[in-house]
Amino acid sequence: MPGLIKVRPTKIELVKLKRRLALAQRVQKIVKDRLSILTMEFLQTARDTLEAKRKLLDESSKLYKALSIAAGYHGYIAMEKELIATEADLKVTAGLRNIAGVRIPSFELMGNGKPMRGYNLVDTTSWLDRAAQLSEECLRAIVELAELQRNFELLAMEINRTKRITNALEYIVIPGLQVTINYLNMKFEERDREEKARLKRVKVLVARG
Amino acid sequence: MPNPLQDEVKKSPYEKMLQECLRGELRVVNAGLPQSQKRLATLLNEKYPHVVCNDGSTHLFKKSELEYLASMIDTDEQKALPLPMLIELGANQAEAAIICEGKVEEKVISKALNMPVTCEERRIRIYKPQLALLRRKFKTTTVYIFSPKIVA
Repeated sequence: MPGLIKVRPTKIELVKLKRRLALAQRVQKIVKDRLSILTMEFLQTARDTLEAKRKLLDESSKLYKALSIAAGYHGYIAMEKELIATEADLKVTAGLRNIAGVRIPSFELMGNGKPMRGYNLVDTTSWLDRAAQLSEECLRAIVELAELQRNFELLAMEINRTKRITNALEYIVIPGLQVTINYLNMKFEERDREEKARLKRVKVLVARG
Repeated sequence: MPNPLQDEVKKSPYEKMLQECLRGELRVVNAGLPQSQKRLATLLNEKYPHVVCNDGSTHLFKKSELEYLASMIDTDEQKALPLPMLIELGANQAEAAIICEGKVEEKVISKALNMPVTCEERRIRIYKPQLALLRRKFKTTTVYIFSPKIVA
């Protein structure tokens, strides 16, 4: 239950309170709009995160299978020897973007211009090709998931903060102002009625003489 | 011109707090707006495609998204498409408007949403479900604007 704000019962205070109420309602409007956008983005990010996780798990299990078969075919030592040649520098572009006031990271795996696979195609089987291709896809999925997961956390934190402001405005600040304005209005009406009754009484007394 | 927001503050800590809250929120929500937009053709040629925001930070575009956009339109249109596209949130919470300069935005949005859209008074009006779809496809190539109109 919102409490009355302690103010002097004057007309000036009433005007001030009305201004405060208008201001509080404007703040509430922006905060609510922002909250609705953040919630929409949060839900979208949650869906994307789930999808990315599922994709990563699928790719990983496929990769494991392909690697196992390749290792079985070539033998571990021969396969490792071939794979040494595939080492390449990875480049991830990291930046920031802004969603309704929340700065969230953005990662993108950059292609380095040359194919990642550098092993001998004559000595190896298509299973190794498959494993290499799947590992590239896994890497992309990991980078994507890292971005989404961080976005998810940041958006959730901001939603919590914004919700607290919205609730404070909706349940404490604005009702408190409205109750006080109503109280002052009633007080002024009561004063008017008293004044009228007093004037009537004075009129009667004057008439009696 | 007198600023009504300024006039309202009469050194009362309560009003000052509300005023600061309003200013802070407006500043925060619009901090990510770009100082100026860049054309798609320009961004495609940049090594790290980005624009500078109002708060001095940079907004990075994903190359994959730019390439997806480029695949939707021809070379001349790429020179005409300003990025990031601005999504204005209106007084009506159920809809949003995409600010557009020409026909090229209309074409891009129409293709992305797979439905015809029309540009009226330099705005393409879309509903919330379409906005979610659009944001899903263009995460880095669109930004939100909280217009002062909705505050009034």
